[in-house]
Parts: sequence; structure tokens; C-alpha cells
Amino acid sequence: MTLPTPTYPLLAALATVLLPFIGFLLSAIAGRRAKSGAISITAIALSVVAAGYTFANVWGGEPIHIQWRWFTIGEQAFHVGLLLDNMAVLMLLLVSIVALPVHIYSVAYMKGDPGIHRYWTFLSLFCAAMLGLVIADNLLLMYVCWEIVGFASYLLIGFWFTKDAAVQANKRAFIINRIGDIGFLIGFAILYAGFGTLDINALFGPQGLFATAAGASTAGSTVHGGLPAGWITAAGLAFFLGAMAKSAQFPLHVWLPAAMEGPTSVSSLIHAATMVAAGVFLLARIFPVFDDTVLLVIAATGTVTALIAAYFALTQFDIKKILAFSTVSQLGFMMVGIGIGLYPIALFHLATHAFFKCLLFLCAGAVIHEMQHLNDKHRLGIDPQDIRNMGGLRRYMPVTFATMLIASLALVGFPLTSGYLSKDALLVHAFEWAALHQGAAHIIPYVLAFVSVLTSFYIFRLLAKVFFGTAATPALANGQAKLHDPSAWMVGPMLFLAACSLFPLFTLHPLNDGHVWLLQGIAVSKPWPSLPLLHIVIPVGAAFATLAVAVWVWRWYVGGKYTAKTDGPLYRLSFHQGYLDGLYDRFVVGTVLRFAGVLRWLDTYVVDGLVHGLTTLGRSLASAAGWVDQRIVDGLVRLFGKLAWGVGNVVRRTQTGRLQGYFASLFLVILVILLYHIIVQA
Amino acid sequence: MITLTHFLVVGACLFSIGLYAVMARRNAIMVLVGIELMINAAILNLVAFGRYDTEHYGGQAFALFAIVLAAASVAVALAIILNVYKHHKTINPEDINQLKD
Amino acid sequence: MNPHLLTILIFLPLVAATAMFVVPAGKRNAYKYIALATGVLQLVLSGGMYYLFHPKGAGISQERLYQFVDHVPWIRLDMGNLGRLEIDYFIGVDGLSMPLLFLSALVMVIAIGASWNVQKSAKGYFVLLMILDMAVMGVFSALDFFLFYIFYELMLLPLYFLIGIWGGARREYAAIKFFLYTLFGSVFMLLIIVGLYFSVTNPETGAHTFNMLHMMDPANYVPGSFFSALAKQELFGIPARLLGFIVLFIAFAIKVPIVPLHTWLPDAHVEAPTPISIILAGILLKVGGYGILRICFSIFPDAAMQSAWWLGLIGVVSIIYGALVALAQRDLKRMIAYSSVSHMGFVLLGVASFTTEGTAGALFQMISHGFLSAALFFLVGMLYDRVHDRGIYHFRGLATLMPRYTVFVAIAFFASLGLPGFSAFIGEVFVIIGAFNAESANGLLPRWMAIAGSVGILLSAAYFLWTLQRMFFGQPRLKGGTVWSEALTDASPRETVIMVPMLVLALALGVYPALALDKINASVLALVELVTK
Repeated sequence: MTLPTPTYPLLAALATVLLPFIGFLLSAIAGRRAKSGAISITAIALSVVAAGYTFANVWGGEPIHIQWRWFTIGEQAFHVGLLLDNMAVLMLLLVSIVALPVHIYSVAYMKGDPGIHRYWTFLSLFCAAMLGLVIADNLLLMYVCWEIVGFASYLLIGFWFTKDAAVQANKRAFIINRIGDIGFLIGFAILYAGFGTLDINALFGPQGLFATAAGASTAGSTVHGGLPAGWITAAGLAFFLGAMAKSAQFPLHVWLPAAMEGPTSVSSLIHAATMVAAGVFLLARIFPVFDDTVLLVIAATGTVTALIAAYFALTQFDIKKILAFSTVSQLGFMMVGIGIGLYPIALFHLATHAFFKCLLFLCAGAVIHEMQHLNDKHRLGIDPQDIRNMGGLRRYMPVTFATMLIASLALVGFPLTSGYLSKDALLVHAFEWAALHQGAAHIIPYVLAFVSVLTSFYIFRLLAKVFFGTAATPALANGQAKLHDPSAWMVGPMLFLAACSLFPLFTLHPLNDGHVWLLQGIAVSKPWPSLPLLHIVIPVGAAFATLAVAVWVWRWYVGGKYTAKTDGPLYRLSFHQGYLDGLYDRFVVGTVLRFAGVLRWLDTYVVDGLVHGLTTLGRSLASAAGWVDQRIVDGLVRLFGKLAWGVGNVVRRTQTGRLQGYFASLFLVILVILLYHIIVQA
Repeated sequence: MITLTHFLVVGACLFSIGLYAVMARRNAIMVLVGIELMINAAILNLVAFGRYDTEHYGGQAFALFAIVLAAASVAVALAIILNVYKHHKTINPEDINQLKD
Repeated sequence: MNPHLLTILIFLPLVAATAMFVVPAGKRNAYKYIALATGVLQLVLSGGMYYLFHPKGAGISQERLYQFVDHVPWIRLDMGNLGRLEIDYFIGVDGLSMPLLFLSALVMVIAIGASWNVQKSAKGYFVLLMILDMAVMGVFSALDFFLFYIFYELMLLPLYFLIGIWGGARREYAAIKFFLYTLFGSVFMLLIIVGLYFSVTNPETGAHTFNMLHMMDPANYVPGSFFSALAKQELFGIPARLLGFIVLFIAFAIKVPIVPLHTWLPDAHVEAPTPISIILAGILLKVGGYGILRICFSIFPDAAMQSAWWLGLIGVVSIIYGALVALAQRDLKRMIAYSSVSHMGFVLLGVASFTTEGTAGALFQMISHGFLSAALFFLVGMLYDRVHDRGIYHFRGLATLMPRYTVFVAIAFFASLGLPGFSAFIGEVFVIIGAFNAESANGLLPRWMAIAGSVGILLSAAYFLWTLQRMFFGQPRLKGGTVWSEALTDASPRETVIMVPMLVLALALGVYPALALDKINASVLALVELVTK
């Protein structure tokens, strides 16, 4: 086998994936001896270096594609291979570089946990699978990694497996992801049936089947391989179903808030660059599949998700739940990016979001960590994740506060942060797209703008409740107890991510997204004219709206000016997360289980009953035959037997045993014979 | 004159007496005597009919044989009776009913 | 050179059984060591054969493409007007049977390992096990229908006694149910065999023959005979060939099993002792799938094509029905038994697609299910050995008490529910792909069947994860209290040694499916071509 000319980037990319995988294997073999996490951290650190090298060599250059035969089924060969194009190496770098601070953070955060060796093992597997997913060159291999990502997240969410809530949550996560997996599976089955290949380059590449078919076909006709019309739409919808589950889109988002039962460091990884990013990445990867119908569905779903998740986030008290819904909401934004046809912008938002969301979770983890210590030390019996028990932490944990503030500003899209660049780019383009499509399409950008306001509200509410005001815990308020910023193992990663959440990482123009290197690297032509006015109105409007909301929240939560009506239906709907969990449990799960119960009953009493019925029938036939046999057939035989016996019994009487009796009968017989002769002769 | 009929009547009487003895006596010896009587009745008939076989004297010859046989059988029968007596301490045929099934 | 490896493989257990007869009954341990030695020998032998097996040996309908062939005349009887009776001792392997032979040898070793603690009349037990072993090997290699039938029936007898004597509380019921169910199928099979015999002649000798390969060639059918394709004979208004196909299919489908002919399986599995459950799930169910491919499809391809839609439907119904009923079970072993029904439904769906992907996927699924169901039943047996209880609701938090055991269970569960990296994934994915492809490839199956089948993958995740969560996670809480928690020791070295190879094989086949696919590809292609031409 000969490697293509740029050998080293290829090997580096391979190393990026294999290092965490080797880390996984080594940790798994080492078992309890691998408590320190040195293996995993070394692996991911080297992986970052390798990814950086790959990125530097591939970004902006020619894509590298290499494949080896994996297996042949019939005459169809399937391959394992690497496809290194801009998108892949970007994700490769992003995933590894976000995973590294999480690894380092975990050293301090997970210290002392009895199952920590499992934690490192699972974490390495998780990273390896996600890294494999982004460079896979065909859909089958991607699906393999896709599922392993889901599996690793199952293990991590249920890491504290003695907690019932955790194991319920990981079961739910895996099963909902399975729904998505089926979508993915059906999607690529359709493509395979139509095109006979699963190779991403051959299907979607610049010279791929989709591109050439679209170029060759006249206007109005669509690409459909050998399939009847409509199947490509179906494939698009199926793939989107996959992405919906993985990227937590409404109504399949319920697993993500529940997944907060895992360690916070895991949540940060799941919510940033791995797992939920996989769905968005998939859609970007296979973008040519989608026709207008599917894109509209994606955009609409994204909008609904963004709105609903932000709405649910408004009233939560669990710090991690708020952040979880925030992720769901931001993923909705990304979906809209895909839906309006500008997947680079979705990826851009994915990249910026990865940093600041990871940071938000790490900060939240720091807070929870401290609260947990406080709780354990003073035996307070409070929920360390409940923001009602916090307050005023700004004084104790200034670094945490500062980094969390930066992350929050990035989340709301405040100027000078990276979030500003990506979110405003998304909004602006959504408006432009709506202008092109007219009519009801306008709902989408306006809703998104409204969601931005909601985002500002819930994240400022969180900041206000956690860091401002006075401490809600008496022990803290009266100075008995002290909190402090966590150790350098945790602060270091937080500072690093905070730096990554600012604009310079992506462009040197703080307020203009036109020069973002990421968008220049993965360019896609925009089928509509730019509206220059929007590029001014929206950022300025958004910034002012954010400030206004910030002031309002300050007055509300710190100043205590307003109180929320906590018994209104809207409040309760939000607080109970739309009652979706209950609905699913009752209607979906309940229905399936009831149906299963009915089938079990059927199986026992009807299907098996039929068998038993047949048996009974057979047995009654047999006993009828037995009766006939015994009473009639055998009866006849016994009748003869009885007859013979009866005759014998009568005749037996003559056998007296007396000699003289015998003589007498002898004589009589002779006499009779004589008489007979005499009479007959006569 | 004494005709054949007289001989036959005497033979019949002898046979009947013998038959009675065989049927009715409670003593095996007497039964044996009855049998002998019946044999002798038969012998008498043989001799009486022998008159019609002047050429070979078959009647007389058979009679002689029968007498010898009767004697032999009496010897055997007496021996049986002796054994029966030894075994059952009786020679009453009524009591010896073990031929019954 | 033909060193009669296959014959040796088949009859090795018979030699072992004879040896066991000679060993005096007092030496209990001798039996299991003889059995283990035989099993290992067979495993090595079949492994060697697997290695030597040439991937180009397509087999199917051509004798020269079979490998390890032994073909000698066995019974030759002049029957006057009816011609000469021609029964051959004719065995050989191709890509369909070779992996299954290896699988059988492996599962046998596992089963012998699982029978290590059999106390009740060990001699009888191991002798029966050896006879079963021989019959199974024979079924997978016989190419003469008469010989096949003999081995096929010979499997039943030891199983009946093994379930009926060494089984659980309702063993007699289960054994009789199992026996009657399977006998019901095979008795009618005999009729078809006789019908085929009188319809087919050996082109070389002109005599009627039981040779399966001759039965696959339409040219060998006597013109106007009952099963001749050209004669278009009918019986009860059903075309004779269709009838023949249906009867044979039912005979094998009972073994697979399909819904609604599956109810023997949960009872037999639950009542059978662990090793027999392992053999039932690991080997016996495969005989059904193998028979459908080797006999039903190859001999009656026309009827098979006609029935494809129904076969697919049965497959889909089995997948979903089995999974849903498994979801509602309260007994761990029953749950796994129903999951077998569901997983074997994929086999039927795959073969019904008549595509190379579907057929290869189905075959792969059979092999994979062989390892995994054996592993699952062994795991249940481990639990049952310790506390004599299998109720899912009677355990909680086992992960804390038995960590290594839980790791095994988790791996086996995830492998069974089709996690990539394990063999079941490849099998299920390619069955789905094949079923999906069928509409464009040959138009036999509608696409919704593939979609419905994939729901089974979702449901299997549901019941396995539910069980995992319910029994293994959470705080330890056992029905039997401290007595149980003392009895529940972690996996012993013997159990570990048995478990690891199965899981490793499932992993190896999942990571590098070419291990099996390279050997079966040629046969699958030949089979699909034979059927759909």
C-alpha cells in the first residue's frame, strides 16, 4: 500500500484518533491502577498536537483521502478511510482542543472518586469515537463512530451507577439516541440503495454523484440516483432524525437535560464539541442530500427548539439544567444555520459555542464543587446545584465569576466575544434568507431574535442568582464558612477557554464576521444578495437589547424590584419543561410497555394457548380413541375371554376329583352313545 | 338248553354288580373287586361269543389274555392302593379327590 | 489429497461416546474430561479447516466447488419397478456451512465447560451430549438429503432427554413440547423428501437419488414428475413446488423459530439446563436458518421467490413481536429467549431480500447470534447457579456486588443490541441494507419492511438497557437478602475463561468482519445467483 503524497498530515490525523483510543485500551487494561488519569491526559495532549499539525497542513489545501479495504460483502467492498478536508480537520482540532482542558479539569474535579479509573477509560473512548467520527470517509464508518459516541456517553452519564436518576438518564439518552441511529441507518440505506456506495467523497464531494448529477440535470429535476422521487427527501429526513436525536432537537431533546446526572466535566464535553456537535457535523457533512423541503423542516425544527429550550431555561433552578437548555437552544440556532443552507455558519457557531459552553459548564462545575464541599463540611443537606442556595459567590470566587461572565457574554452574543461573531452572522443571514423566501419564512429570524433576548434573560438570571446579591446559605452569609476559587488544575482550563471565547481566535476584526478565517476556509456560495443595512442594525440592536435585559435582570434579581408569578400556567409549563418527560413516559413508553404486555398476554394465552388447544384436542381425540379401544375393540376380545371362562367355570364343576364320579360320567357317556346309535339305527 | 342269551344275561348281571361296586363302594378294594367283576363279565361274553369262531377260537384266546391282563392290573392296582393308603391313611375314594383342578 | 477431515470431525464425538461407555461409572470426572478433550479437538480441527477453506469454494449447487468432500455410495437397493435406491454418504462444506461448523464446535466447547458441575448421572449426560454433537456436525455437512434427515432427527433425541432429565421444574412439559413441535415439522419434511426422490434422477446413473445437489438442477427432474417445474402439478389447488417449499420452510422455520411457531423456545430455554440452552440458542436455531438457505431456497428457488414477501413479513413480525414480548418479560432467561426470536427474525428478513447484502448479513447474524446468545445464556446460568432465581425484579445493584460479571453482562448486552464493534452490528446493518436494497435490486421486498425491521434495533436497546438498569445498577437490593449477597460471588476463573473467547470473537468479527465474510462471500453470491436467475 502506498500512502498519498502528504504522508505526515495523514499519519498525524490517524494519531489524533488512535492516541485516545490507545489511551482507552491502556486504561481499560490497567483498571484500578489508572487512577491518576495520566494515560488519558497524555493521550489527549499528544492528540491535540497531532491535530494541530494536521490542521496546519491540511487547512486551505487539497483534501486528503485514503482508504483501506475493510471487508467485502458480495462484490461490494467497504472501506475504512480518512477524509481530511477543511471541515474534518477543523472539527478534529476543535474536538481535541476542547477535550484537553476538560481532561485537565477532571483531575481536580473527580479527585477521590472511587470509580475514577473507569472515568478516564470512558473519557478516552468518548474522545476517540468523536475524533473518529469527524474524519471518517464513509457513512458506515461514521455510523460506527456515531454509535460508539452514544455508547460512551451512556457510560459517562451513568458513571455514578448507584444513583437511580443517573441510570435512568443514561438509559433514556441511549434509547433516544437509538431513535436517531435508526434515522441515520435508514438514511444511508436509502443512499446505498440509490447509489451503491457510502463513500462521502464519492457522494458529496466536489466531483461526487450529487454534484455531477445536480450539474447535469436540468432545472426542476432532482437528484435521486436509481430511486423513485421522494426517496432522497426521505433520506434527508432520516438523516435529520439522526441529527435531531444526537443534537437534542425538539422533541427528542429530553435526554440532554436528563444527562446532567453525569459528572459536570462530562456534561461540559457532551455539550461542547462532542456528542451534540456530531449531529450538526453530520448534517454539514452530507449537506448536498437535503432538498428544499428537508431544509425547511430543519430550519423550522431548529427555530422551535431554540425557542422552547430558551423558554424552559427561564425558570429552572438547577444550574446545570439551565445550561443544558441553553445548549439545546443554541443547537437550534445551528440547525437554523443548516436549514438556511449556510452550513459553514452553523459550524462556526458550533466552534464558538464549543468553547464558551464548555467554559460555562466548567465554571458551573467549579461552583457545584465548592457548594458540595460546603454542604459536606457543614452538613447542610442542601442541593449543591440549586441556584437558590447560592448567591454572592462573586466575592469568594472572583476568577470563576470573571470567566463565567465572559462565557455568558459570549453566549448572549455581546460584542468582542466570539459568540457575537457567530450568532450575529447567523441572525443576519436568517433575515436575508427570510427576505428571499418571503411570507411565513420571516417568522424564523424574528423568533430567533426573540430567543436571543430570552437567552440574555436566563443567563443573566443565573449570574445574578449565583454571583450577586447576598449568600442564601446562612453558614456562608454569617461568615462561618468560606468558599474560594478551585485549584489551578481547574482554573487553568477555565482561563484557557475564556481566552478562546473572545474574538481574536477567529478574526482580528472584533465587530465584523466578514473576515473570519473559519468561514473563508469552508466557503459556500450564498444564493441571495447581502443586505448591508442588516449587518449594522442587528448587531447594534442585539447589543442594546442585551444591555437592557441585563439591567432588567439586575433590578429584578439583585434589586428585588419584581417577583415572578410562580403559579401561572406559563411559568409552570416552563418549570416542568413542558411536561414532556411525563408525556413521554405516559404515552410513548407507557404505550409501548402496555402493548408489550398485551403481546405477552397474547403470546402466553393465545399463541401458546393455540398450541395448548391443539394439544388438548389431540389429547381428547386420543382419549376418545382410547375409550373406543378399551370399551369396544378390547371389549369384544374380553367378551370372548369371559365367555370361555364362564363355560369353563360351569364345566369345571364336573371335576369333582372323585374317581367314582368320573366312572359314572364315563358310563353315562357310553350309554348315551349307545342309545344314540340304537335310536339312529332304528 | 343254555343259550347264548343266558350267558349274556349272566354277563350283564355280573357287569351291573361290578358297576355298582365301582360306583357305590367306599372302599378301594371293593372298587377293585367291582372292576374285576366287570372284566370277568367281559371275559364271559368273549367266551360265550367264542362259540361262533370255531376256526381260530379267538374268543377263548382273548379271554386268556384278558385274564392275564386283569391279574397284572390287579397287582398294579393293589400296589397303588397300598401307596394311597400310605399317603392318605385311607382308601376311601371319596376322600381322595386331589385329581380335582 | 483428502484426509477425510470432515468425516473425522463428525464422528469424533461418537468415538468419545464409545469411550465413555467403557469407562466405569464410578469415575465421574473422566466423562467431562473426555468430552472436553473431544470438544477441543473438534474446535482445533474445525479451526484448521476454516483456515484451509478456500474462499473461492462457492459450493451451493456444484459438487466440485465443495471442499472436504467425502462421497461414497452407502445404500444401494434394487427395488424392482421402483428402480434402484441410491443413498450416498455425501458430505462437504461450502461458505454457508463452514462458519457454522466452526461455530458449532466452539459452542460445544462452551457447553461442555458450562456442564462442568453436572452431578446427576454424568455418564448419560455426556454420552447424550456427544451424540448431539455428532448429529449437529452431520447436519451442517450432509449433502445427501437422506443423510441430512437422519442427522436432523438424531439431534432431537438427545435433546429430548437432556431437557427432560436434566432440566428445571417443568422439564417434562418443555421437553415434550419441544420434541413434538420439531417432530411436527420434520415428519412432513419426510414426505417432501420422498416426493423429491421420485422426481429427481441422477444424470449419470439414471437412478432416483437423494443427492441435494441434483435436486437443485431443474434438468434432473423427471418430466411430468410431481416436483418438476415444467409439469406444474397441483395438490389441493396449490402448485406442488410451492407446497413443497412451504412444508420444508415450516419444518425449518419452527427451528429458527418464527412467530407464531416460536412458543416451544421460551419453555425449552427456560427449563433446559444452562449448557443445553447454550446449544439450543447457539446451534439449533442456526440449523433452521441454514436449512432454509441450503434446502428451501436452493431446491425450490422459484417458490422461494414467490414467497419472498411473506418471508420478509414473517421476519419483520418476528423481529418486532419478539422484541416487544421480551420487553414485557419478568424472567431473565425468558427475556433472552424472546430476544433470540427477535434476532433470528433478522435472519429471515435478510434471506428474504435475496440480495447479497441481505443474505450475507443474515448468515453473519446467525454466526454472531451463535456466540452472543451462547454468552447470554451462560451469563444467566451463572446467576442461576448462585441463587437459583432469575427474576429480573429480584435483583438490583448487582454491579456493586459482582463487578466483573456486570462487565461481561454489559458487553454481551451491548454486543447483542448491535453496538458497532461487535458482530451483531454488521449482521443487523447489512440485513437492513439488503432489505432496503431489495426493492431496487429485485423488487421482492417493499422498503417499509426494512424500516420496520430497524425498529427492532431500537426495541432491543430498550429491553437490554432496561434490564441492565433494573438489575445491575442502583443500590444493591436483593430479594434473598444477605443470603443472596453472600452467594453472589463474582465470576470464577472457569467462567471467565469460558466467557472471554466468546466476547473476543464477537468483537473480532465486529471489528474485522472480513474474517467471516471472506469465507462466505462466494457462496452467498452463488446462492443469490442460483435463486434469482
